Amino acid sequence: MTSHEGKQFPLRGLVLILAVIVLVACGEVKDGSGNKRETIALFTKNQVNPYFQTLRVAAQAAANELNVDLVNYIPTENDSIREQMSQIEDAITKRPSAAVFIPVDSKAMIPGVEKFNAAGIPVVNLTDRADGGEFVSFMGCDDYAVAADTARYLFKKMNGKGNVIIIEGQGGSSNNQKRMGGFKKALEEFPDIKLLASQTGNFQRSVALQVTENLLQAHSQIDGILAANDSMALGVIEALDAANRKALVIGLNGTKEAIDAVKAGKLLATGDCDGFLQGCMGTMGAVRHLRNLPVPKEIIFPITVFDSTNYQGADVPYEQRMCPKWESIVKE
Amino acid sequence: MARLARIPGVAFLLVLLGFVFAVVAPGFASLPNVLNIGIQSSTLLLLALPMTFIIMTEGLDLSMGALLGLTGVILASALVAGNNLIVAFAQALGVGLAFGIANGLLVVKMGLPPFVATLGTLGIAQGIALVMTKGESVAGIGPALPRLYASTWLGLPFSIVVAAVMYAVFHFLLYYTRFGNYVFAIGGNREALMLAGVPAGFVHVSVYALAGLMSGFAALLLTGRMNSGHPIAAMGMEFDAIAAVIVGGTERQRGNGWLPGTVLGVLAVGVLRNGLNVMAVQSSLQVASIGLLLIVALLIDSIRRRRQ
Amino acid sequence: MKYRLIGLLLIGIALALSSDAFATPSNLLNVLRQASLIFLSASGLTLVIVGAGLDLSVGANLGLSACFAAAAIKSTGALSLGLVAGLACGTIVGVLNGLMVTKLRLPPFIATYGMLWMLYGVNYWYMKGDTIYGFPAEFRALGSGDLLGIPVPVYLMMVGLLAGGIFTRYTTFGHEIYAIGANVEAARLSGIPVSSRLILLYTLSGAMAGLAGVVYLARLNSAEAGIGTPLLLPAIAAVLIGGTSLFGGSGGLAGTLIGAIVLTLVLNGMNLLGINSNWQPLVTGVIILLAALIDSITRKHAEIRA
Repeated sequence: MTSHEGKQFPLRGLVLILAVIVLVACGEVKDGSGNKRETIALFTKNQVNPYFQTLRVAAQAAANELNVDLVNYIPTENDSIREQMSQIEDAITKRPSAAVFIPVDSKAMIPGVEKFNAAGIPVVNLTDRADGGEFVSFMGCDDYAVAADTARYLFKKMNGKGNVIIIEGQGGSSNNQKRMGGFKKALEEFPDIKLLASQTGNFQRSVALQVTENLLQAHSQIDGILAANDSMALGVIEALDAANRKALVIGLNGTKEAIDAVKAGKLLATGDCDGFLQGCMGTMGAVRHLRNLPVPKEIIFPITVFDSTNYQGADVPYEQRMCPKWESIVKE
Repeated sequence: MARLARIPGVAFLLVLLGFVFAVVAPGFASLPNVLNIGIQSSTLLLLALPMTFIIMTEGLDLSMGALLGLTGVILASALVAGNNLIVAFAQALGVGLAFGIANGLLVVKMGLPPFVATLGTLGIAQGIALVMTKGESVAGIGPALPRLYASTWLGLPFSIVVAAVMYAVFHFLLYYTRFGNYVFAIGGNREALMLAGVPAGFVHVSVYALAGLMSGFAALLLTGRMNSGHPIAAMGMEFDAIAAVIVGGTERQRGNGWLPGTVLGVLAVGVLRNGLNVMAVQSSLQVASIGLLLIVALLIDSIRRRRQ
Repeated sequence: MKYRLIGLLLIGIALALSSDAFATPSNLLNVLRQASLIFLSASGLTLVIVGAGLDLSVGANLGLSACFAAAAIKSTGALSLGLVAGLACGTIVGVLNGLMVTKLRLPPFIATYGMLWMLYGVNYWYMKGDTIYGFPAEFRALGSGDLLGIPVPVYLMMVGLLAGGIFTRYTTFGHEIYAIGANVEAARLSGIPVSSRLILLYTLSGAMAGLAGVVYLARLNSAEAGIGTPLLLPAIAAVLIGGTSLFGGSGGLAGTLIGAIVLTLVLNGMNLLGINSNWQPLVTGVIILLAALIDSITRKHAEIRA
């Protein structure tokens, strides 16, 4: 920085800045004055997991049907607690009519939910239960139960005996805690299933692949592998293929790629509750609440363990799916 | 006149962004939202202030995010164990300081490159945090910290007050003390400093110690904000801090530091993120915009430098 | 360098003693394959750092290149087109980085960090949360296959090492890079076309990231926007553990290979020994510090003796 430039204003820089502004403004949600449509603010955890993409598409479909606006809030850094907290504050500035909220962390986001509560914005808790705060409803299922059910399925397929390894998710994630809890519970119920190793794959495909390769070296007899999400499960499968080893693998999330792997016989099963359905119901529930229609305090979606016999239900591309009628899911 | 030349391009961007968002995004220019920007930026500023000193000494501290996670967990655990806030805070500060001193000694006494030394301590801090908590967050910290975090001082939220006070402290330290002179000198002319001997080494280590201390301080804000301690909540923040410092005009190569620029850098990113959220811009576009902001800010400076 | 090799051997011996599964040909090849992948991602980066630069965008570049390669293969069915697309993406990003650092005079940290964000933005927008998967076996062999019992990536690594070695030791360009890294002003004064050399360096880094992206695609059999996220820090760590200095002018690819192997051994060892995963960052951090301390102590020794 020298002292000679003084008051010169960088014209070329200004042009660049204007280009940035135009770029940014193109993404602006049309929020015209006098617009009386209700706005639903949907909070999902990241841009990379296909599970959330399906959920968002479903929510948009429901919003279109119900004639409301849907605004998406996704952290720019995947699963960022700090960012989701900031996005809550920023969303409140826009005063959405209601929020549909998937917390990045079940405990750390409680102050965020309380911000919604303080601002008088009704919130539907979707997919992962937050451990505090006031909600219109919780709709989702329990990661613990999903993990336990999927693990039990695997152990039954193994006839209750054999060696297994676990590929864990990211340390520090509340999802991971619950899923590990579920796996461990199922293990307790099958005393002849032996856990050889439990190592982290960080919820990432390449890490899970590398770790599985290493564990295959360490243990000559592995009959079953439990992966804490589909992304990792698919990495596990590649490792098995490359090493010419066979094992029964289960994942969690029910993503399209996993379903295809189940179809192809590479993946034994993937368990979850329907992400598409959750997207629909969460949005519909929020809108119903705004329109003074009854919404149950809790909707626990059934857990499906998708295997080679029943994957057809999940095998429809989300572009072709439609939201069901509220009444067909919620029986009064 | 010389002052205006000093002002980095990010300042103009900040003003422009603020103006544009105020016009284009309803709700942006409201007092609550402006306060939000301050609250959201305060933790990063606490990290970016000591980072400015470190970068002025031609160093880097990559461990700050992991350390913030660790001190946050220690603060939370101490509170859960029933300690009062002062004791718990002291523990967090102590651990932060210890790591900071370790970083400083590794860099100054053992001659390790800062990138490498702090990459190592990053792993160690993160590892300790994960092992301590078994990978779980620490909740149930009691009402004292949340109450402090939610308190307002002269109408301003606690975190903004802390950030402002810390800025004043660092500003004073850098521009009005002998310590600050040494910080400038370490980056600029190390040989001349060698002759000064012990004080220079002490200052150089202290610069890293300060960073560790501030990580502990920032734990107060982060844990208060999340009402829990989380081992990996602050991962990667050091990169944002480094970017804010460089964008604010501090140059690695010549020991040229401008502390107000760091505030501008932190605010520019904070304003951009906030404005994009308030405008509900598509997330992938937000990600790209952040990169664009950093590049354009320095591009402006580069073009201005070329014009003379 | 020889201390690094000794250190590496010590780690190897320690692991061989504590785990039966470690010192088997199968596991050692396994480790080599994994290390080759880190090496490929970090190879171009090494040269950039030798030239006193920095490229933080390698992970993001790798990921985007993999996604474009995947899309190219899926839409045309031609495997070679995938390779071309991946390399092209990587190279273009590298050129842009080079231009930003030289023509626009942006500091490398900001230029490449800003590029990182922009690449992820493009990647997220392009992939829309989906994955592209299912590739033919011939393609997958690039990442997970073997040739004469040796994993394919290891061959790539050897070629890269050889080419890089020849390049840095026996070409003018190679010498120029070290000169630029050591003292850019002196290099400029002695007639070296610094700008064009730097652009070439960043282009190389980008191209290698692109190549690595294609290999990762082959290995994972799937492309998703987040592939590159866990790959940046290991790449940088491999370069630094290998002894290449961030200030430029020293180090090289052989060091990066050793660094890559050390990092791979840490994870391999922890998996084989069944050490709780929460300890992994701690062990990695300690190893990084130990490697640097050994370096520092041996350098001081050499200085005293000289």
